[in-house]
Amino acid sequence: MPNVSVKVLLFATFRKKYGSKELIIECDGTIKGLINSVSNVLGREFYDDVYDEKRGMVRDDLIFAINGRNIKDLKGNIGLKDGDVVAIFPPLAGGLSPHTL
Amino acid sequence: MPGGYMGKILRVDLSTGALRTEPILEEVARKYLGGKGYAVYILYNYLREYEFKGISPPDINPLGPENVLIFATGPGTGIPGFPCSGRYHVMALRSPLTGSIGSANSGGEWGPFLKFSGYDMIVIEGASEEPVYLSIVNGVAELRSAGDLWGKNVFDTCRILSRRVGGKNTSVACIGPAGENLVRMACIVNDEHRAAGRTGLGAVMGSKKLKAIVVSGDEKVPVANPDEFREVSRRCLETMRKNRVTGEGLPTYGTSILINVINTAGGLPYKNWQTGVNPYADKISGETLAETYLTGRRACWGCTIGCGRVTSVPSGPFQIIGTEGPEYESIWALGGSTGVKDLDAIVKANHYCDEFGMDPISLGSTIAAAMELYERGYIPKEDLQGLDLRFGNSTALVEAVWRTAYRVGFGKYLALGSKKLCEIYGHPEISMSVKGLEMPAYDPRAMKGIGLEYATANRGGCHVTGYTVSVEILGIPEKIDPLTPEGKAKWAKLFQDFACVVNSTVNCLFSTFALGVKDYADLLSAVTGWSLSEDEILRIGERIYNLERVIINRLGFDGKDDTLPRRLLEEPMPEGPAKGHIVELERMKEEYYRLRGWVNGIPTAEKLKELEIEL
Repeated sequence: MPNVSVKVLLFATFRKKYGSKELIIECDGTIKGLINSVSNVLGREFYDDVYDEKRGMVRDDLIFAINGRNIKDLKGNIGLKDGDVVAIFPPLAGGLSPHTL
Repeated sequence: MPGGYMGKILRVDLSTGALRTEPILEEVARKYLGGKGYAVYILYNYLREYEFKGISPPDINPLGPENVLIFATGPGTGIPGFPCSGRYHVMALRSPLTGSIGSANSGGEWGPFLKFSGYDMIVIEGASEEPVYLSIVNGVAELRSAGDLWGKNVFDTCRILSRRVGGKNTSVACIGPAGENLVRMACIVNDEHRAAGRTGLGAVMGSKKLKAIVVSGDEKVPVANPDEFREVSRRCLETMRKNRVTGEGLPTYGTSILINVINTAGGLPYKNWQTGVNPYADKISGETLAETYLTGRRACWGCTIGCGRVTSVPSGPFQIIGTEGPEYESIWALGGSTGVKDLDAIVKANHYCDEFGMDPISLGSTIAAAMELYERGYIPKEDLQGLDLRFGNSTALVEAVWRTAYRVGFGKYLALGSKKLCEIYGHPEISMSVKGLEMPAYDPRAMKGIGLEYATANRGGCHVTGYTVSVEILGIPEKIDPLTPEGKAKWAKLFQDFACVVNSTVNCLFSTFALGVKDYADLLSAVTGWSLSEDEILRIGERIYNLERVIINRLGFDGKDDTLPRRLLEEPMPEGPAKGHIVELERMKEEYYRLRGWVNGIPTAEKLKELEIEL
């Protein structure tokens, strides 16, 4: 049952691809639930662009931030609450890489 | 002579007009590569010679004939297939902006064309009485009168000299009015829109009455093992093509894709660093630039990325047709830091920076500091002579740029840089600079490692000396929490050492979004014929960083100068994801010095011996 309202911001090529840069989404408070809810609006491709089904987590090569904090830096169970802002950047922005993975 | 080198250094004494050629020394090149590394080695020898003559290094006048200016390429520069090898490095014994070492880097075509003209490096000492330019065409160097060029802007100077010299592969590096007027943040511009931007090296050229250096030629850069190089090159270029950053992100959006990324993390300094959240960031972002004023892109010589932006503002008060930029740092400094949210005004202000030859980071930050001084009532209105320097005033921003270049009215104060400006008005804490160099667009309260990096960077507040943002925000090659000081020291050191390798190769730091140390070891081994391991590559970088540190120690800088503005150490971030955070600098610095083998910011004798640095 949807119970949380979240603002989702899209950046860079995601904006052009999905024709949107800001959405208000109702979801169940989980990250996967949010991505599913966004996919219901933008299409299944969004789910594949953002979620790594095999690993059961957000794709490793993009920036997915809740209230400005990258989820890779958040500890414990990561949930969403009413009024949270989620920013999603496609894997286009990067840094120096002394030991390329 | 190993591959990758033309084998020649041009020595120019502007006081006597004497020109002489000397060889690149293989034993020096093996230890310091070229570019920044070789230049640091030469500068250290000048310093030692001055000390033997009884001249104390802190007495060296950055704008006097005793300052030394070096233009340097490296073994990778100008080799087709060597990733992003269209750059050169410029160094000076002292920066007129900071008093520390002068250091800057530029792309375009000038670096490769210097090598095609037959030289790896140019070392300039003394000062001319009359304006001159240096011409190097296929190995023939001459000093010629620049009397007719003095006073001309960058675009005119580049075009006139290109036509005058003619020939194949001709490129001009020059100063504009800002350099002639000894504006402390004046830069050296080549190919009209590419700049060795930081630390005021354009003013050093101006003080020497050297208007321009034009290079031209068609010599080829030798490669020691062509078959091996072809293989490594193919591998590296393929890696860069497939990499989402170098293959798609930078070509599509340029560096300004970072505006929204860094603002989201709460680290995009706004209104002279009073906060790290800019409510108007999206209006000045790479995404908005792409939708509005972007008309094309321009790559440097030999570059497969092409991050350069070609733009036009078709109408309105800030109309400008056919310019280049702005990139991330210029948008932030001229826009975010000044609170200006009109992208057309930022494009125009950036255009003027190129036209007059000024570093937009230092200039924008100095204007932002003036805005804060004015809004707090520290600058009397009458001093501004009609310039309404309130945050967010687009018209005042554009006006301030040319007033600075010509030192008109309040521009004479802006021309001194933020540190001097804030000292004059009695509030040095408002200058957001380190060692006198204005910091770039990342607030370290939201990413602690870059604070350590700014504090310990030899040239002053600089991000490209060691880009820890990569691990803290972008997650490359691994993701670490930006808000903790833990573990940042090793990354700062590693990035600083590796950046020395890149700037001594000399190619573009952006290649390292995709390529690692092993790729560099393989590329340089194939080009030079030396067998370089990854460890050896990083050791060369560490050697260069330490010798550069020895120079700034002699100039009077030590641990007390490895610090940050008080705002970052004491004023908690007021909002955003980093709300409540300051920079725990001392804790990170202690670990950093231990890893470096330094005491109070000074390399120990043991460390220098370990790195085979002979003083």
